[in-house]
Amino acid sequence: MDDLFAPPGHDWRPVSPALARLRHLLLVALVVVAVAALVVAGVLGVPRWAWLSAVAVVLLAGVAGWVLVARNAGWWAYAERDDELYVRHGAMFRTLVVVPYGRMQYVDVHAGPLEQAFGVASVHLHTASPGTSARIPGLPAAEASRLRDRLTELGESQAAGL
Amino acid sequence: MTVPDPAPEPGQSPGRSYHRLSPLTPLVRSAILVVAVAVSSWDDLLRGAPGPIGIVALALLVVGAVVGTASWLRTKYWIEADELRVDTGLVSRQSRRIRVDRIQGIDVVQPFVARLLGLAELRMDVAGGGAREGSLAFLRLSEAEALREKLLSRRDAVRAGESGSGPDAVAQQGSPHRVVARLDLRTLVVSLVLSPTTVGFLVSSAALGGLFLAMGGIGGFAGAVPLVIGWGITQFRRLSAFYDFTVTTTGDPGAGNGAGTGGRPDTGQDTVPGVHVRRGLFERSAQTVALERVQGVVVTEPWMWSPMGWARLDVSVAGQAHGGQGGNEPSLSTVMPVAPRAEVLDLARLLLSVSSRSGSADLRDVRLTRPPTRARWVAPVRRRFLAVGVGEHLVVSAQGVLGRRTHAVPHERVQSLQLHQRPWQRFLGLADVGVDSPPGPVAVRARHRDAEEARRLLEQLSEATRRARLSGS
Repeated sequence: MDDLFAPPGHDWRPVSPALARLRHLLLVALVVVAVAALVVAGVLGVPRWAWLSAVAVVLLAGVAGWVLVARNAGWWAYAERDDELYVRHGAMFRTLVVVPYGRMQYVDVHAGPLEQAFGVASVHLHTASPGTSARIPGLPAAEASRLRDRLTELGESQAAGL
Repeated sequence: MTVPDPAPEPGQSPGRSYHRLSPLTPLVRSAILVVAVAVSSWDDLLRGAPGPIGIVALALLVVGAVVGTASWLRTKYWIEADELRVDTGLVSRQSRRIRVDRIQGIDVVQPFVARLLGLAELRMDVAGGGAREGSLAFLRLSEAEALREKLLSRRDAVRAGESGSGPDAVAQQGSPHRVVARLDLRTLVVSLVLSPTTVGFLVSSAALGGLFLAMGGIGGFAGAVPLVIGWGITQFRRLSAFYDFTVTTTGDPGAGNGAGTGGRPDTGQDTVPGVHVRRGLFERSAQTVALERVQGVVVTEPWMWSPMGWARLDVSVAGQAHGGQGGNEPSLSTVMPVAPRAEVLDLARLLLSVSSRSGSADLRDVRLTRPPTRARWVAPVRRRFLAVGVGEHLVVSAQGVLGRRTHAVPHERVQSLQLHQRPWQRFLGLADVGVDSPPGPVAVRARHRDAEEARRLLEQLSEATRRARLSGS
C-alpha cells in the first residue's frame, strides 16, 4: 500500500471482490472467443505454426490480463471523510480524486445485466466539472444505495453555489 | 412604439399597453433572401424580362414579405408583474413568459444588416445551461438598451425584495458604466500581425516559394495567392470581431465582496457587479460577465508579443458555452484580446475579486515554483515552463513553451481535486495534481511535481477550498 494515495487518518474501504470475479469472467470470455476464432482459422487452412503461435500469444496475454485485472481491482477503494469523498483507482496509472460533498451536482447508480448477476453496482459522482472522474464500480448493491443516499444527504447539507 | 391595445384578447388584461418589434424586422430577416434573389436574377432584371427562376424567387420574396409582416403584426411584448411576456405565432399562437428574476444576463447583439438599419437583438440568458431561450429580434438599438436596463433593474429590485437587501442593490443599479479597458486599433492590428497564424502563413509561403524556386519557376509564386487570401480573411475576421473592444464595469466590485454578495443566498445567480464586453465592427455584440459566476482566468502571452509585453485574458464563466479553445479564435471567453500585461493582470484581479471574496486576488501575489530537476526525464523542454503556486485566495499554474499560459482559479471555485501518478512518474518519484473546473478554458495543473510535495499540495488545496466554501456559503 502506498502512502501517497492514502486518505489522511482514515482507512480505505475496498470494493467488492465480485468486481475482480466479474472482470475475470469477461477476460476468460474474450480469450475463449479469440481462441475459437483462431481454431476456425486453422481449420480453414491458415498455416499450423501461424495459428498455434497466435493461440499461444492470446493465452499469454490472457494470463497477464488476469494478473493485471486482479491487481487493478484491488486498487479501487474509497473513503468518506467529513467534507470530502476520496476515490482511488489504478494499479499502474494511479489516481486519487477528492470531491467535496458540497460540490456534488448529482449521483448516479448504475448496474448493467452482468453487474446485477454479480450483485454489484457502480456509483458515479458528478460535479459541475466534466473532468471530475469520481466513479466507484463494483460496490455491493446495498452499499451502493447506502452510499448514494449518504452522498445525496451530505451534498444537500453542505451545498455550495457555483 | 407604445400602442394601446385595441381589442384585448381573452386572458389578457384589458387596457394593457404592449410594444411591437421594429417594423423593419421582416426586412432584416429576409435580407439574405433579397440578396439571393438579386444575384440569381440580376441578368434578367437588367434585361427587364425575368426568367422562370427569377419569377419563382420573386414569388418566394413576396410570400416571405407577407408572412414576415403578418408575423411582425402578431408579435407583441410587454412587461407585466415581473414577467416579460412575448406573444408570437402566425398559425398557432404562442405566449412565452420570462420571469425577470430568472434572467441571468442580457446581451444586445447587432448582426450586420441589423446594424446598418440601427436595429439590435436582445438575447436573454434564462436559468442555467447554455441555451438562449429568450430572444427579441429586432428592436431599435436605443429601445433594446432601454429595455435591457429596465429588465435588469426590475430583476434586481425583485431579487433584492426577496433577500431583503433592497437599497443596496437598487443604489448600485444607478451607478454608471465605468470603462476599465479599451483596445486601441493600433495595438489590435500589431497583435494580429504578430500572431501564430502569421507565423504559420510565413512558414508555409516560404516553403511553397522554396519549392517553386527549386523547380525553377518564378510564376509558381502564384501558388501563394490562396495563402495570402486565407491569411487576410482570418485576420480580418478577428479584426472585425475585436474591433473597438471595450470593457466596462457596473457597480463597485469592491463593495460586492462584503454586504452585496453576503446578503444573497443563491450564489448561483449573477449579481449587480459585472463586467461588460462590447466589441465588433460589422456585428456589434455586448456581453455581460457576472463576477459571481467567474470560475477562473487564463492569461496567455504568445512569444511574438513578448517584446511589447502584451497578454490576452480569457475567463471561464459558469453555464456559459465557450467558443474556440486556445489559438487566436474570436471566442466568447475572451475578455481582453490584447493589452499590456499589467493591464491584463489588473483586469484579472477585477474578474476574480468577487469569487475570491477579497481584494488581494492578484496573480502577481502568488509565488510560482518549478518542478524538480529530475522531471527533465519526462518533460525535457516543457519542464522549464511548468510552474505552480498556491496563494491565499488563488491556485495558479503556468505552462506553454511557445507562449506562457497562466491559469488561475479561486479556492472557492474549485470543484474537485485529482492526484495522478503514471508508472514512469512513480519510478522518478513524481506526481501530477489537477484542479477540476466547470467547462471553459481554465485548467489549473501541477505537472511533474515531487510526489511528497504533490500530496502536500493536495492536502493544502483541499483544506483551502474547504475553508473558502464554508466562508462563502
